[in-house]
Amino acid sequence: MMTLGRRSLLTGTVAALGSAAFARGSLAADTVYVGVSGPLTGPNAQYGAQWKDAFDLALEQVNPTAAHKVAYLFEDSQSDPRQSVAVAQKFVNDSRIIMELGDFSSTASMAASPIYQRAKLVQFGFTNSHPDFTKGGDYMWSNSISQAEEQPSLAAYAINDLGRRRLGVIHLNTDWGATSKNLFSAAVAEKGGVVTAAEGFLPNERDFRSTLVRIRDSNPDGIVVIAYYADAATIIRQIHTLGLTQPIICVSSVYSPKLIELGGDAVNGIYTLSNFFPGEQRAEVQRFVGDFQAKYHREPDNFNANAYDTMMLVSKLVNTYGTTRAAIREGLPQVSVPSVIYGTIRFDPDTRRVSGAQYKKLTVKDGAFAMFDGITPA
Amino acid sequence: MNVPDLGAWFDYTVNGFVIGNIYALLAVGLALIYGVANLVNFAHGSVYVVGAYVGWAAITYLGTPLPVTILCVVVVCGLVGVGIERLGLRPLHGASRIAPLLATIGIALVLDQVVQLVFSPDPRAVPMQVPEWRIPIGGGTIGVLDLLIAGIGLASAAVLYTFLRFTKLGWAVRATAQDSDAAQQMGVDINKVNMAVFAIASALSGISGLLVGMYYNQINPAMSFEATLKGIVALIIGGLGNVPGAIAGSLILGLTESYGIALFGTSYRNLFAFVLLIAMLLWRPNGLFSARRSPPPEPLTGTFIARSRPFRVRPWAVALLIVAAVLLPLFDHPYLTQIGVNSLLYGMLALSLTLVAGTVGQISLGHAALLAIGGYASGLLALDGGWPVALSIPIAGLLTAALGTLLVYPAFRLTGHYVSIATLGIGEIVSLVILNWSGLTHGAIGLGGIPPLEIFGYDLGSVQGTYWLCLAVLVLLALLQVRLLGSHLGRSWRAIRDDDIAARSYGVSGDRYKALAFGFGGFAAGISGAITAHSYSYINHETFNATISVLALTMVILGGMGNVMGAVVGATLLIALPEAFRFLAEYRILIYGLVLLLLIRFRPQGVMGTV
Repeated sequence: MMTLGRRSLLTGTVAALGSAAFARGSLAADTVYVGVSGPLTGPNAQYGAQWKDAFDLALEQVNPTAAHKVAYLFEDSQSDPRQSVAVAQKFVNDSRIIMELGDFSSTASMAASPIYQRAKLVQFGFTNSHPDFTKGGDYMWSNSISQAEEQPSLAAYAINDLGRRRLGVIHLNTDWGATSKNLFSAAVAEKGGVVTAAEGFLPNERDFRSTLVRIRDSNPDGIVVIAYYADAATIIRQIHTLGLTQPIICVSSVYSPKLIELGGDAVNGIYTLSNFFPGEQRAEVQRFVGDFQAKYHREPDNFNANAYDTMMLVSKLVNTYGTTRAAIREGLPQVSVPSVIYGTIRFDPDTRRVSGAQYKKLTVKDGAFAMFDGITPA
Repeated sequence: MNVPDLGAWFDYTVNGFVIGNIYALLAVGLALIYGVANLVNFAHGSVYVVGAYVGWAAITYLGTPLPVTILCVVVVCGLVGVGIERLGLRPLHGASRIAPLLATIGIALVLDQVVQLVFSPDPRAVPMQVPEWRIPIGGGTIGVLDLLIAGIGLASAAVLYTFLRFTKLGWAVRATAQDSDAAQQMGVDINKVNMAVFAIASALSGISGLLVGMYYNQINPAMSFEATLKGIVALIIGGLGNVPGAIAGSLILGLTESYGIALFGTSYRNLFAFVLLIAMLLWRPNGLFSARRSPPPEPLTGTFIARSRPFRVRPWAVALLIVAAVLLPLFDHPYLTQIGVNSLLYGMLALSLTLVAGTVGQISLGHAALLAIGGYASGLLALDGGWPVALSIPIAGLLTAALGTLLVYPAFRLTGHYVSIATLGIGEIVSLVILNWSGLTHGAIGLGGIPPLEIFGYDLGSVQGTYWLCLAVLVLLALLQVRLLGSHLGRSWRAIRDDDIAARSYGVSGDRYKALAFGFGGFAAGISGAITAHSYSYINHETFNATISVLALTMVILGGMGNVMGAVVGATLLIALPEAFRFLAEYRILIYGLVLLLLIRFRPQGVMGTV
């Protein structure tokens, strides 16, 4: 038993090394590499896995016809700053790597920023909405959704379309959630509404009943959820167990088929925004959604879409502006590339972020996301 | 603070019971294991995750009805429990008391990784197998599952209580708990008893994983640590090893959290839980339901840390090592140098902890809090105060020494496991205060744009610069520590560790010497945190989290408790190993956990030996 285990482990390793060497050998002539620093193990491993799926799909689509083929080296950081800085040193000193993607969390990404900035290697934090991320230096770029844009849209949805005035907010108490909550509250005030309560929960919390009683007693006419899909599903289920009947309005990060799986019947009737919606008829979106479903037999979500967009951008950059680190940095302020999230990605050279994300108003109907029908709830 | 009306208070009370109910299932298993093996089982939450996934797989792939699902979970988790006892703990019988604790941490790491590899890290929905009738109560409702969970919690506690009190095997279990050597002498097969207890407790943990998964309709491999943490807090409130107490403790914890939310808001929930933990440890260390007396002298003096012959490194060898370390960056391999920087920074933390835990015998599980205090102190002084970095780092070290000692001062009269759990709680409190005190610490947004390392105009932000700075600091701190250990002070520290009462009768006042150790240790850890903050440029309340405390303790035990050289070796090994296993991709943390277990198994006194 023991020998068998050892032998199969060994053969597995040899096979893996062999195939890696093979892949490198056959592509070496015209392949450029990007480094990806992200979680493949640890508490955020699910997001790294989602990135990989989308990256692989994007590369399968673009590489066959591209002059310069792109490949990625994924190093597991567990989204832990101690490991992301080591990965950063590895990447900046690997002359093959011309651009870096990630990390997932702001702690891990921003801890590595000084190293990338110093080495003049672009760090492309595609999930980093932290307002300070791109302030780390002129080599920090991001296409992550700006909360400064999203939150006013969400407030407009809640107030103008859904006719709410008094909103109770429950938000993830992290840099992302707290920033979003502040921007949302400001936008609500501007539109003449009131935030009746704002409750921040910690990651890993599962019990929201008492939090919801607090929100209930602030007497809101709508409940706003600022969370990722897994937590949002739990929160929405508990809103139902507590017998609260106010309309529920969620940020775009709950957009995922998993929300429906984890939330069950309870998520029917919620409202959300999304930048990405598989039902959208644009050619880019349909190609992404169709190929993704064919390859993985499930619907893509926001995290997949964001990672896919990013890899498409990388291919465009190397094939338009050149295959050096300097060329990538030169190309970013000028590049314009179709996107499943934005329509077109174009960076603001000052903020090094993308603006102009489009928001679709969605609702969940009979266990599926659907476009908002325009009917104001009672 | 807002004061809710009476109807709302009723709802908060119901909600407190609902969540307390869930904690109870975890705490009962922990209490059982503690009662017999005198061990806080850090793998308990991982077994809970295994149970959740086994149940999910049985329902999803085999379509089992609830009783069969529960049976599957009981069998698999019971076997896992037997495995934990057989492979992780029995071989360590007779080794230091701290080795099994570390083994459970290693087992938790391995189990979590196996679950993640087998079932993927994606969250899963566990199909509900209980009718979804809901009973309106107050403003909300409770479901059948709430009642089922309460029923299983109470029933298991009742059965266990009866078993322990009135059956022969139960007597054997209690006898083993009181004195395993004496029990063995009286013909009790203590291995069998231990195995039975681990099987029962693990099966119970697995059932709770399944039911909680159904309850929230969601399971993921990362939910184990939080489960262990809450279970331990509930256990302490009820009294270590007290099975019915564990249930009451869980309900009290649930109520405290719920009332905390009611009065101050959601972000204060865990703060309340941990403040309650510390208060309990200080005033009722045996739990609410035991007579008020000081905690039993556990372990018997001097046996918590096994002595061994330390591996002596000659001064010339040390000098050679230092020269080699100085030359490392000249190889022009920045990745290697960066790993060196990480090792050195953790080396400082390990120095601090090996002094506190190894030399003085105060096993701290909250050492990451010292890094956080140091990092925030230096970051805030430089960022908001405009101080030069060369000044802010040493001041941060001093502040950490003062604040760290002050925070842990009330816990000085505790011993053994109680110290570990108190420091764990203090660590969490520090992190939660950082999160909630937005006015000072920038709250959840964190500290961005912390100025880079530079000393009097010299830029040390490059990896080589940082490396040499860290190396110089570490060597200075280590030499100082060696000097202190060889002095009168060092002898007094060891005397307190080996026999607190004898030391006191010789006029060595424990508290003052412990304070000195925490002061020196706090300084080293504070400097490490401060340098980390400046090289990262961004920190938030999660940068220095509880897993770092566990990692630091692992380093210290691995290197050899109290051993200065060992601390540096342990830190280097545990930083370098996960990097060395990078080619294993998703498997690297699993392999790392296994290597850790093997090291504990074959060298429980640490690589360099305990001093």
